[in-house]
Formats: sequence, C-alpha cells, structure tokens
Amino acid sequence: MVIEFGHYALVLAFALTLVQSVLPIWGALIKDERLMAVAPPVSVTLFVLVLLSFVALTGAYLNSDFSVLNVLENSHSAKPLLYKFTGVWGNHEGSMLLWVLILVFFGALVGAFGRNLPADLRAVTLSVQGWVSAGFILFLLATSNPFTRVANPPLEGADLNPILQDIGLAIHPPLLYVGYVGFSITFSFAVAALILGRTDAAWARWVRPWTLLAWGFLTLGIAMGSYWAYYELGWGGWWFWDPVENASFMPWLAGTALLHSAIVMEKREALKVWTVLLAIFTFSLSLLGTFLVRSGVLTSVHAFATDPARGVFILGLLCFFIGGSLTLYAWRASTLKQGGLFAPISREGGLVLNNLFLTAACAAVFVGTLYPLVLDAVTGEKISVGAPFFNLTFGPLMVPLLLALPFGPVLSWKRGDLAAACQRLYAAFGLALVLALVAFWAWGMEMVLAPLGVGLAVWVMAGSVSEIVTRVKFFEIGPKRGFARLVGLPGSAWGTAFAHFGIGVTVLGIVTASAFQEEHVRTMRPGDTVDLSGYEITFDGAAPRRGPNYTEEVGHFTIRQGGAMVTELDPSKRIYTARQMPTTEAAIHTVGFSQLYLSLGESRGDGAVDVRVYFKPFITLIWIGCVIMAFGAACSMADRRLRVGAPKPARKRPSAPVAAE
Amino acid sequence: MIFWILIAGLTAVAALSVLVPLSRTRRLPETVASQADEAVYREQLNAIETELERGLIDADTAEAARTEIARRLLAAHERVKAAPGASRPKTGLKLAQAVAVLALPAVTFGLYLLLGTPDLPDQPLHARLTAPAEGQSVDVLVARVERHLADNPEDGQGWAVVAPVYLSLGQPRASAKAYANAIRILGPKQEWLTDMGEALAIAEQGLVTAEAQRAFEQAVALEPSAVKPRFFLAIALGQEGRKVDAIAAWEALLDGADPTAAWVGAARQELARLTGETPNMTAPRGPSQEDIAAAADMSRDDQQAMIRGMVSGLAERLTTEGGSVEEWNRLIRAYMVLGDKAEAEKALASAQAAFAENQNDLSRIKDAARQLGLSGS
Repeated sequence: MVIEFGHYALVLAFALTLVQSVLPIWGALIKDERLMAVAPPVSVTLFVLVLLSFVALTGAYLNSDFSVLNVLENSHSAKPLLYKFTGVWGNHEGSMLLWVLILVFFGALVGAFGRNLPADLRAVTLSVQGWVSAGFILFLLATSNPFTRVANPPLEGADLNPILQDIGLAIHPPLLYVGYVGFSITFSFAVAALILGRTDAAWARWVRPWTLLAWGFLTLGIAMGSYWAYYELGWGGWWFWDPVENASFMPWLAGTALLHSAIVMEKREALKVWTVLLAIFTFSLSLLGTFLVRSGVLTSVHAFATDPARGVFILGLLCFFIGGSLTLYAWRASTLKQGGLFAPISREGGLVLNNLFLTAACAAVFVGTLYPLVLDAVTGEKISVGAPFFNLTFGPLMVPLLLALPFGPVLSWKRGDLAAACQRLYAAFGLALVLALVAFWAWGMEMVLAPLGVGLAVWVMAGSVSEIVTRVKFFEIGPKRGFARLVGLPGSAWGTAFAHFGIGVTVLGIVTASAFQEEHVRTMRPGDTVDLSGYEITFDGAAPRRGPNYTEEVGHFTIRQGGAMVTELDPSKRIYTARQMPTTEAAIHTVGFSQLYLSLGESRGDGAVDVRVYFKPFITLIWIGCVIMAFGAACSMADRRLRVGAPKPARKRPSAPVAAE
Repeated sequence: MIFWILIAGLTAVAALSVLVPLSRTRRLPETVASQADEAVYREQLNAIETELERGLIDADTAEAARTEIARRLLAAHERVKAAPGASRPKTGLKLAQAVAVLALPAVTFGLYLLLGTPDLPDQPLHARLTAPAEGQSVDVLVARVERHLADNPEDGQGWAVVAPVYLSLGQPRASAKAYANAIRILGPKQEWLTDMGEALAIAEQGLVTAEAQRAFEQAVALEPSAVKPRFFLAIALGQEGRKVDAIAAWEALLDGADPTAAWVGAARQELARLTGETPNMTAPRGPSQEDIAAAADMSRDDQQAMIRGMVSGLAERLTTEGGSVEEWNRLIRAYMVLGDKAEAEKALASAQAAFAENQNDLSRIKDAARQLGLSGS
C-alpha cells in the first residue's frame, strides 16, 4: 500500500505540475493576482508529493520489497543498510526520481522563500519550473517508472553494481544533482525574464543566490566524483576527460561564467542579454549531460540499463527546452535594453574577460566531448579525444584567465586604474615570482612549465589574500582597527576571496601532482622492496579474504622511511560474486597534503603480483581547493544583503522616492 | 479501502493548494512589484554608503553610482505605472477552480489506474518470510526454511523437513544434501537413508550410484525388512549386469509381499525382464523406474497431472480391455488418493460388475474397498 501510495503521489505530482505550468503564467499575462498566487503553495505541495513517492521507494529498498521491479533489479537483501539506502539512486529510475525531487525542491524553495520577488516574476518562474518538472515526471512515468510492480516476485534481487557499493554513492550523486538541477531555477528565472520582458539589476540580484547555491553544490559534486574515481578505479588519476566528467564540467564552466556576468548585471545593469543567454546555456548543458549519460550514447558506470526509448524521450525534452528557450531568446532579446557603459580596464572589463575565457574553455570541452560522438553517428568512425586535446585547448585558455584573475576584484567599477591595481598586487606578484624561482632552483631547469605553474597558483592565492588585506587597509590603520574592519567585511567579499583562493589551491595541487608525481609499475614477489620518493615499500605477500558479498586478494605492504616503519597498506582486488565483477581497492596513505597510492594489478603466479605505486605530492589540494571554493559560495550566500527575505513594508515607504531624487 | 481514502485525502490536499489561493483576495501585484524593486535598489544605495564610509570608493564615484541607482528606481516606478491595471475576469477564475476540482483528480485517477497496481500489497521480504505458512508458495516456504537453516545449521529436524520438498521441486542433489545433514545431526534412520539414496539415484537419471548404493545398504542394515531400499538395491544389481544376483534379490523381495502394494507390479516387470520371460498378462503393469524418476523431477503440479494421466489411462484400459483384480484395486486406490471419491465408487462398481461371477475375486475387491473406507454394494 505504501508503494502504491508513493506511485499515486508521483502521478498526482504530474497532474499538479500541469496546473502549475498553466495557471500562474496565465495569471501573470492577464494580471490576475489570484491565479499568480497559486504558484507558491502548489510548488510546496509538489515537493511534498515527490518527497512522499521518494520516501515510499526508499522504504521499498530498505524492506527489500522485491515486488517493486526496480528494487528487484538493483538490490539484494544481504546488502549492508547504507547501500540499501544509497541504492535508491544507484540505478536509472531511482536517480531520475532524485533528479525530479531536487527539481521540485528548488521550485518549493522559490515558492517558500521568494516573498521578496515581484509576484509576476515569481509566478512565471514557477510555471517554467513546472514545465521542466512536468517533462521529467512524464519521462519517469512513461519510460522509467520506478514503481513498476511484480506480482509474484522472487526472493532475491540482482544486487547493486559493485563499483557503486561505496560511501561515495551516498555523497557524490546528491551533491552533483543539487548543482546540476539547481541551475534549472536560474533557467526558469531567465525564461521568465524573457517572457515578462524584464531584465534589470533587480532580476540579477534575485537570481544570484540560486546560482551560488547550485554552483557551490556542483563544485562539491564534481570534486567528490573526482576523488571517488581516483580511489576506486585504481589508476591513480583524478580526472580523465571522460565524456561523463565533461558532462558535469561544462555546466560548471558555464555556471561560473554566469555567476560573474550576473555580478555585472546586478551592479551595472550591463551584460543583460548575455547573462540571460548564459543562464539558458548552463541548464541546457545540464540537460545535455543528462542526455549523454542516460541515453546510452556513452557507456559508463553512470549509464545503468540503457533503453533507446529513454534516449529518444530525453532528446525530445532536450530539443523542447533548449530549442524553445533559444527561440524565445531570439524573439525577445532585441527588446532588452542595454545597460551601463564601462571602459575596457574596469571591474566589468575584467568580468567580461573572465566570461570570454570561460565560455571559450566550455566550448573547447564541448567540442572535445561531442565531436567523437557526432563523428561516430555520422560516419561510424570511432575516434577518442583524450587528455592531449584538452591539455592543448583547455590548458592555454586557463593560463591568461588565472593571470588576470587577481586583477578583477581590485579594479574599480566603470573606469579602473591598472597602475593602482598593480600597486595593490605587487606583493602577491613578488611572492609568486620568488616561489616560482625557488621551484626552478629545487627541481632544476628541465621542467619549465611546472615552476611556472606553481608561480601561477601562488599568484592567484596571494592575490586573493592581498585583496582582502588592502580592502581593510590593514597596514595603514593598524591591526586593531584592521581586524574590526576584517570582521565587518561583507560576506560577498569573503566569498570572492575564498573562491579565488580555492582556485589557486586546486591549481597548485594539479601542477604538483602532475609534474612531480613519482610512480613505479612493476611485478613484485613477496619480500621485494621498491624505493619511491624516500619511502621503502616492501611487499610482504598476498592472501585471499572473504567479504559479505565478495572475495578478494589482499596484498600486504609495509612502508618504511629511513628504516623506521611508517605504516602498513593493504590494497586489494575484489570479485563481487553476484555479478562476477572485479573491482580494485587502492590503499592510500596521506602525508600532509601528499599521498602514497598503492594498487594491485594482475597476479603472476607463485605469489608475484603487478603493483602500481604512486607518490602524489600535494594531490589532496585539488579537492581541498574545491571545498574552499564551495565555502566561498556559502560565504557569499550568507551575505546579509543577498539573503532572500521579505522586504520590510514597515519601513517608511517615502524613503525610496527621496533616495531616488 | 484505507488506501482509497488516503489517496482521496492526498488529492484533496493537492486540490486545496490550488483552490485556497484562488479564493483569497490579495493586495494588488503592483504594490508588491514596486516594493520588491525598491528593496533591491535601496539595498544598493546602502551598499554605496557603506563602501564610501570604508573608503573603498571616493565621493565622486559614490555620487555617480547613486545617480545610476536612482535612475533604476525611477525606471521601476514608471514601469509599474505604465502597466495596465489588474483585471479580474470571472471566467478565468471559474475555469481554474474547475481544473482544481475536476480535472486534477480525473487526470490523476485515470493515469494512476492506467499505470498503477492498486490491488498489489507491499511485500517486504521480512514479512513474506514470517507470514503464516498457509497460502504461501512453496518457494517462499523453502526460502524461509533455508534462512532458518542458514542461521541454525545444526537443526536436523529442519533439514529432514526440507529434504523431501527439494526432491519434489526437482532439486535431488539439494535433497540428498539435506538428508545427509539430518543424518549427520540426528543419527541414521532407515527412511532418511533410503530417501537420500533415492534422491542420489534420481540426480543421476535413475542410475543407482555407489554413493546411493551405500545409503541403501546402510538402510537395510538398520531395518532388514524394509522394502524400498531392497527394491533399489535390486535395481542396482540389474544395472550392474549381475543378472543372477538381481533375480535372486527380486524374488526375495516379492516373496511374501503384499500383492496389492504399488511397487509389486514394477518389481515383477523387472524380474520378468531379467528372466527373459514375457511378463505375465495378469501381472499389473506399473510405471517404469524412468517414470518414477521423471515424476520426482517434476514440480508438484506436473506430478499431479502425470498421476491423473496415468490413472485415466489405466481406467480406459480396464473398461475397454478388462484387467486383473489388482489393477482394479489400484485404480480405486488411485482415485481415493487423488481425492475423487465419486470416481472411486464408480470404478468399484465396474470392478464388481466385471468379477461378478468369481466370488473369490469379488471378496478381494470388497476387502480392499473397505480398507479405503468405501462400501461396495
């Protein structure tokens, strides 16, 4: 009964999204405030309904109710409780239900906390969100219903893909989805702006917290996915330029551009047309990612069971939403008035530069991801576009962007003074130069790029620190008043500084881990020792072991440094019995920010086994940097001036016209 | 019923979330819109003051920014003024209310009845495994016993219970294993040893392997008069080609056996095959060992069907060609086993009619019928 109740709730949610799609926008067009007022309560009801159905499905998983086909195909009664829970979204149907849940969640947030928005904007935004929700709930019900039942079910299910039986499944998809799907709300705002013909500074200010929220979660989701791939796939790589990774990276790049162009729009009412286009693009790229991952176009751990009908359906949704919004854009964009003017050297100019490079980088990733697919579809020729392509296109685009990055926040609006900006940044530049020279001295001249990369990373980090320091005039007014001003700095200033600092940290991690990584791949016999980066790694032998639903071959290694034992590591190779699937469990030892990474390869008989040993200096900085970036987004959201809240009608009304005169 | 009440309630809540805002009178939207715009721009003006105070911008820049924001404020005001006044068309509202009250439930119910299976209850695994045994499928019952045995592998009685079920489900090896466990835990018993041997033989398509033979021999050692293990041992001798020993074994088995026993026919047939004689026409024909093996391999339903098929075949032969007293008795007994008392009485009447002249045969039929609880006329 609970399951059928959940199913009914989902169907009801679909019918209600149809109401949501029509009534509020109709109300906005004919100026009927009662029709518009329908949007907020319905958006909350929608969320409650989808939540009920999600809870019902989760209950079926926890109870191993195999009368639900989805549970039967993806769960097993012997699975640990955590994986029963996370298994809800470890499959196509369940993950799409999570997708829809987050979609209506964002609608409900706007419905519940969007009281500061003009009624018509809110009504139309929620209607557009209703269209997207209707499309995806229909997709669920028509092609991927998670509530399909089995009358006489067997007593055991088919289990979850072993690679997904990991704590990562509890964290990565929800984070990523909040980011991915969160951009739906900026899309809805953009379409609403086009329909209502109002894009102004106020619009940008209302959209900004939603962009920040989605962007922060997307950053964390991508970082978590990268770390998961790093420790689970056993190759020691943290980014593969895999089409599925790119599918999440493209919205991130576009979303980052959107975040910055929205600042210009908010402060100066410039870049309006462009910002709206970016908002449409960002969510379109999210949809494209969903299509690539879910249609079976790509084979990967994310594809789950593929079904041509699903691919066609998502393609249809894709065409409808992207095509529809771009058509609307082409039709309405000309009516949008261009806003404030600015000189090339100014805060606006810096943000435009940022947008140029980010969108170009996004385009490079787009081409690299889709070209092989299109070529395969058109000519049947299979090519693979890998790291070299992206290193040659994406890499060079990032260097000028990072070089220019510290200048942005220190330039003033409208008309900037480059000389003054340089003056503010000379300390950061000096530090970066010194550290790059130290790097040259330490590692020799044969690696030219790496010390320059270190210098670049330090430049970005030091730049964001010095921005804060000069803003509070620390050295001019003394530490005591300086601290007071530091505390008083607005959240958005902290947000900028943290996010930029995080970028620097990530770049530092990427440069050091790629350039100075040491690795050994060799066959080891018990008793063999490998020397790597000052560590002596001794292979003591391998032994079979039995887990709850797998068998594994565990290698035992002792790590010594200068004869003293540091730690013991036990990498293993598992075979999951239900699906006869092998997985690699790398063993990782973290020293400071660096990691020693061991994984097992083929067994060679008589106890010998292929072993991959990596020393990755400062690799954790890659992910720590992402966490700092997301923290920056959180700071910026916490900014009182940006917080979504009702304007206070109690304040004296006439004050505004006075200010205006 | 509770389900229908619950979903009706849910639908009502959803409809109310549309209806309540529709029935409320609200402030005019322009007020809200201008307030919303004003709030943003006032905030921006405040921000300029703060920045000026902090010395982040100079007085000129601040003045310029103020002018710019003031311009935005004016623009917002003008837009609100230019906007046409609110209309409150009644028809639109009526239509929206109709949608909430009629279309929403209709679409939902229709779609749900198309997609859902409201009659199918939840079947959590735990409940399926602990529900009362009546009306449960054999698979569920076996799974329950299996789970119980996985937790209590030393429960010999449990193994003994599940063993014959495995055999009837066509899993003779699992059955033999279960018997072996029961014997290991609770000690040897003639019936278990015999059935284990039978399961082993069935697993090999009726071939009595050395392992099965050992089981039968142990069974005979425990109970020398037991028929079934001796029956299989005799088959084993025949399969080995030890014709003389086999004939001796069959003869010893048939000697003094109750002629109405079901196995006697098969035994006679086997003996006849070994001695090379054509089977005695009066000797009842029984199912061959292949048939037995086949029966054990089948599921319960198939078994029933096969038994019914055999019974009706026998009945047809007896009514058209006639047959021996033993055969008639077997037919009657078969009907009783199948629970078909009417057919059994009909067969009894036919048998009595067929042997009406022979008083001796007639009394044998009546005796057998009385044992089955039938009263011959």
